[in-house]
Amino acid sequence: MLPRTIDFARRFARNRAAVVGLLLVILVIGIALAAPWIYPRNPLRIVGRPEIWPFVNSRFPLGTDSLGRDIAAMIAYGARTTLLIGLCASITATLIGITVGAAAAYFGGWIDEMLMRFTELFQTIPNLIFVLTIVAILGQKLEYVTIAVGVVTWTPIARLTRAEFLSLRDREFVQACRAMGMSNLRIMFGEILPNALPPVIVLSSLVIAGAVLFESAVSFLGLGDPNVSSWGRLIGDGRTLIRTSWYICAVPGLAIMLTVLALNLVGDGLNDALNPKLRDR
Amino acid sequence: MSRFSRRDFLMTTAGAALASRLSGPAFAATEAPKRGGTLLATWGGFEPQSLFVPPGGGSSPYFTSTKVIERLVRLTVDLKFEPVLAVDIKPAEDFRSYLIKLREGVTWHDGQPFTADDVVFNVLEYWKPISAGVSLDALDSAEAVDPLTVLLKFKAPVPEFFLKSVLAGKSGLVIPKHIYAGSNIITNPINNTPIGTGPFKVKEWVRGSHVEYLRNEKYWNPSLPYLDRLVIRWWQDPASRSAAFEANQLDIGVFNPVPMPDVPRLTSGGKFIAETKGYSNSAWITTIEFNQRRDIFKKREVRQALMQAIDRQFISDTIFFGRAHPSIGAIPSSNAIFFTKDVQDYPFDPKKAAKMLDGAGYPVKSGSRFGLNLVSAGWFEENVKIGQYLKQAFEDIDITVDLAVPDRATSLKRIYSDYDYDVAVSNNSGSIELIPSTTQYYTTDGIVKGAAFRNATGYSNPKLDEIVAKMAVETDEPKRIALGKDFDRLVALEAPLLPMVDLEPVTIARSDVRNHSTTADFMGESWAELWLDR
Repeated sequence: MLPRTIDFARRFARNRAAVVGLLLVILVIGIALAAPWIYPRNPLRIVGRPEIWPFVNSRFPLGTDSLGRDIAAMIAYGARTTLLIGLCASITATLIGITVGAAAAYFGGWIDEMLMRFTELFQTIPNLIFVLTIVAILGQKLEYVTIAVGVVTWTPIARLTRAEFLSLRDREFVQACRAMGMSNLRIMFGEILPNALPPVIVLSSLVIAGAVLFESAVSFLGLGDPNVSSWGRLIGDGRTLIRTSWYICAVPGLAIMLTVLALNLVGDGLNDALNPKLRDR
Repeated sequence: MSRFSRRDFLMTTAGAALASRLSGPAFAATEAPKRGGTLLATWGGFEPQSLFVPPGGGSSPYFTSTKVIERLVRLTVDLKFEPVLAVDIKPAEDFRSYLIKLREGVTWHDGQPFTADDVVFNVLEYWKPISAGVSLDALDSAEAVDPLTVLLKFKAPVPEFFLKSVLAGKSGLVIPKHIYAGSNIITNPINNTPIGTGPFKVKEWVRGSHVEYLRNEKYWNPSLPYLDRLVIRWWQDPASRSAAFEANQLDIGVFNPVPMPDVPRLTSGGKFIAETKGYSNSAWITTIEFNQRRDIFKKREVRQALMQAIDRQFISDTIFFGRAHPSIGAIPSSNAIFFTKDVQDYPFDPKKAAKMLDGAGYPVKSGSRFGLNLVSAGWFEENVKIGQYLKQAFEDIDITVDLAVPDRATSLKRIYSDYDYDVAVSNNSGSIELIPSTTQYYTTDGIVKGAAFRNATGYSNPKLDEIVAKMAVETDEPKRIALGKDFDRLVALEAPLLPMVDLEPVTIARSDVRNHSTTADFMGESWAELWLDR
């Protein structure tokens, strides 16, 4: 086990950009975890004069927004919201995607037809509009936004899983399992899935990045949960002040950009590490 | 708590606006108006669902339809009724009937003459059943005495100011009988290209972009309108309206067209002016409403305590950038007739609020007195911030708050149809006349499930209903004003729903646009007198 892990780490580290991405992601996770200790008060509290620019007042290193809330505190707590939604949405999407994709490929026939048409149905609806519709119906709660993002992002995972399963399901080892009388579920999830998983994991990491963007868009449009701090909401609130106090949009914008970039880089690194054959393209 | 205001900053901009106005509309009367030109206009909202929406439909269709369709009278900024399609409206001695004399030589845009039959049709088929609703409850009959005279008869005495306010208000638009007779007024497709007697004719409505109007060459006042063409265009975002002003693609924008912080930037160069006149007959307020279906809010002390916990100066200064002020009572301070300062006031005092809640039987138990659902209607951007501020203000007196800021449709549903809120933040715009635009938020007959912008709190007080009923038939003006003030005093004390702040909407115009903002509801004016000094 250990040499394999080291090998994996070595392959990952060969991609320098991925290491930078990983460090950034660790930093964001660190900030998210440490937020309650650095800023013990509710981040949405009004604590100072509105529109203090960054680096002017040492109490508010990133300045204050149009209501006088500490942007640094909102960014720190916003990291929690963002990562939580990203992670949970990605898990939701991966679970749905793998189940649908695996079932479609393994059983084939009319099940495959039906599930794939179902997938296409979801793919044809513009993602953002679909998310907004779900949030508008369910309500403005963090968990509903998570479900909404998960529900729209599972389709590529389903298709990828199906493709991997299709290439694996008639291999000798699978036929051997069948000959041994293993149950379908055990073959699917015990034998085929571990072999099909690496590319799916890479895609799932990218789904996190996508989910962060979706959450930002939903909050930007004012449909996010107003009871929690969120980067997208901060940008949305600062939009009208873009000519005078552009930093209110720029600071969370930068945070979103760096996080999404970092997640993408990590995704690339994972791809290199998990698919060594593709490494020397 | 931040108490630094933007007031100093605004005082200087107000001064600048005033100075630039000396060369602007105020002096227009002495200058000879120039004919011709195209005026590019917008407002601080979105495209309407239809250019004319007979039952009302909000500010956007009101803005587009009033350039085409006129009313019998209009209210000036100094609160005098001026003739438009009617030259005279006279009450009988018992105020149970009114004689309306119409203007001669008025034609509809399609060439048909405008007569008393049109007015009778409007009264009976349009105003009473569709647009004016309860305002014309007392109407008994309407008949054409001769082609230019209409007689209205009522079951009860009708105060003169009240009737003229209805005629000059949003519900008094005069539509052509020969077009609408026999059809469903609300769904008639002509509403997308309305026909009226107004100074402008609809040329073309390009959906998603703009509507273009041309000068009505046969307008009843041959010297008007001054403009050749009027274009109303819509933008989705306030910041892009501000850019359009700077790019010379916009001459005038009513009702807060640009982000508040942009106002001083635009007006500082002298190229644009900010005007706050012209909104007194559609005074906007931001209200807080306490759902009377919840036991907690049935207690008056609780409602009063929550009012006391809100720093309304902060809302005015920080959230509205100074373009609002704390309300006093239920009637906006711009209402020169009914406004009174002699009402229960709620100065910001969280300590007293906490004490009142202790006294009302809601002490702090394990960190919280009680929890409430706060619904802040998401149709104005400021409401998002107000919701967030109120959450904090209530949490400061140990009330747990779950905030929701739903979109427009969901907000309307939660507040006015499902009554699914404990405390709500909403808006409304009332006319100077209190009945029904202000009273319907408090009276028992204002409780109409599903009807937006009515009594959604479920508050019902026979004493209050009686005051309003008396006011509806009181024809002596001073007595009527006294009743209006009684109404205000009672409502302010009871606080089932109260305005938190009076908004001060602003019109942004290029300084070469003349003669604007001269009536009590400029946005809904025909704009015939506007001219361009170019």
